[in-house]
Amino acid sequence: MAKNLAGDLLVASANRLVDGVVVYLDDAGQWTTELQRAAVARDKRGGEILLERARAEGFGVVDLLLVAVTEDVEGVLEPVSLREKIRASGLTFDAIAAEAVRYA
Amino acid sequence: MPDTYFYRYDRYDRALLSERIAQFRDQVRRRLAGELTEEQFKPLRLTNGLYLQLHAYMLRIAIPYGTLSSRQLRKLAEIARKYDRGYGHFTTRQNLQLNWIKLEDAPDAVAALAEVDMHSIQTSGNVIRNVTADHFAGAAIDEIEDPRIWCEIVRQWSTLHPEFSFLPRKFKIAITGSPNDRAAVRVHDIGLRLWCNERRKVGFEVIVGGGLGRTPMIGKTLREFLPKDELLAYLEATLRVYNRYGRRDNLYKSRIKILVHEIGVEKMREDVEAEYAEMKDGALKLPAETIEAIARQFAPPPLPHRPAAVAEVEALKLSEPNFALWLKSNVASHRMAGYRIVTASLKPAGAPPGDASAAQMEGVADIADSYSQGEIRVSHEQNLVLPHVAVEDLPAVWRALGQLGFAEANLGKITDIIACPGLDYCALANARSIPVAQRLSRHFAEIARQHDIGDLKIKISGCINACGHHHVGHIGILGVDKNGVELYQLSLGGDVDFGKTALGTILGPAVAADKVVEAVDSLVATYLENRGEGERFVDTFRRIGLQPFKERVYAAV
Repeated sequence: MAKNLAGDLLVASANRLVDGVVVYLDDAGQWTTELQRAAVARDKRGGEILLERARAEGFGVVDLLLVAVTEDVEGVLEPVSLREKIRASGLTFDAIAAEAVRYA
Repeated sequence: MPDTYFYRYDRYDRALLSERIAQFRDQVRRRLAGELTEEQFKPLRLTNGLYLQLHAYMLRIAIPYGTLSSRQLRKLAEIARKYDRGYGHFTTRQNLQLNWIKLEDAPDAVAALAEVDMHSIQTSGNVIRNVTADHFAGAAIDEIEDPRIWCEIVRQWSTLHPEFSFLPRKFKIAITGSPNDRAAVRVHDIGLRLWCNERRKVGFEVIVGGGLGRTPMIGKTLREFLPKDELLAYLEATLRVYNRYGRRDNLYKSRIKILVHEIGVEKMREDVEAEYAEMKDGALKLPAETIEAIARQFAPPPLPHRPAAVAEVEALKLSEPNFALWLKSNVASHRMAGYRIVTASLKPAGAPPGDASAAQMEGVADIADSYSQGEIRVSHEQNLVLPHVAVEDLPAVWRALGQLGFAEANLGKITDIIACPGLDYCALANARSIPVAQRLSRHFAEIARQHDIGDLKIKISGCINACGHHHVGHIGILGVDKNGVELYQLSLGGDVDFGKTALGTILGPAVAADKVVEAVDSLVATYLENRGEGERFVDTFRRIGLQPFKERVYAAV
């Protein structure tokens, strides 16, 4: 059973400067594209510390923010807001492919 | 045959663009090297049309007055394929957005644009944006004069205009040369309508203070009749008044529509006319030879005589019902007998509205070369237009567009939906637009039923900024976020037809995302039960009012 801790768990996110790709700060202070590898802060103070670390590692990323997530019993992270779910998972529809002449 | 039948860049245009690209390339280099902070760099990238969205950078490319040559469209396809994910999104401002550009590639992408006399300058920021026009310009049967001549004059005047580079807010101008407005001029900061007065002189009605967004307003007439050669002086006077008095303390009150609303159109007129009196005979009065030189570049293509009645077309109408419906909805009269204006629908069933793959763009460019003088238009309703198609070529064009998935006979119908990119892409959005449009498009996909329902324009915005023009949809759909849940507010009765421009009335409480199709179905059912002879959805709404629609929708959802 998933425990809903909306707003309690936080990860630091940003967009990569060079291409805008969504990234998350991991425990080693590296930026990763995988949400599941993100460092998790478990309270507001932890979030502030995480954001400070993110700022310190901020070269090469833009638009830093803290993202509220939930964590299920297996430790799988899921953003709370739809916006962050889309940032984490991508478009919610299939875009047309470059060589396609019809939308499938 | 010239490359285009519209304005071709001169040495001055090309030099300006070349300098600008070199500057941008250096700005990007310095940003990537850490020599510029994001705070320093952001206004520089924005003024070159480069936004940062949810997942990536987005490059907004200006398509001046919505006119493209086949060569330009092929280049857009090439750029999409080389620097993006191979597709683009045609917008309600007749622009093209590429949603997956890398910052490091952006200078090369804009340099590639310059190879075909295009750019992305002033597609963002508090400046005069790309000037939009009637997408049937130069071909429409009801046209008084080609508005693109004046769009081009305004483009040259407004490009990097030093006085108007830091306006209180963005500024959008649209021009129509026809009495049947297809450019939505009453919902722009300035709308210009060419018309012929009782002395048989053609001039502009100047409309000011229209706009959608958070505070939708219909523009008011500032000047009933403005001589054409005084256009730039009058625009400069209007912009100067706005630049001086427009609010800069509150983002939501900074558009010219708020200024006009607060001081009143009479005071606005008084101030503009005072400013105008000072400058109308000055440097901005356009010499006849300047106007003629630009007008010559928009000379109509030499269309040879072609038959107006073609047996093959008549036969195909009888044997192919979809062709007959396509002729009814997607083919419009042309100023020349024997020709028609064809609209390629970028709204095939279930597709994201306005999206086209690189292969589709190239396909449309090929069709334009074979059948439409190499010319294409982008409509603000997110479709592509072939402006000069001979009647006898209509079957071939229909088949060729069919190969691309762009021959849907749905122009102006319920699936010809305008939708902004919404929360799937946009950093400002509160809710998704495209998936809602897709569900509606699939639900109402049957073409015969669409034609039975008749003209019905659905417009969807993912936030109050209203890029999807929901305020002026016959059915407007606005996505809102309520405690993290997407809800959709419906409005009815919006319109942008000239003389009937109207803002929609909110139906009632917003409905859940999974109830939108059901709600629209109820609206359509209410209309079909109540419509009178020849009435469109919006006509029936005007006659019977909101209540019957409201009762039906909220009983259903």
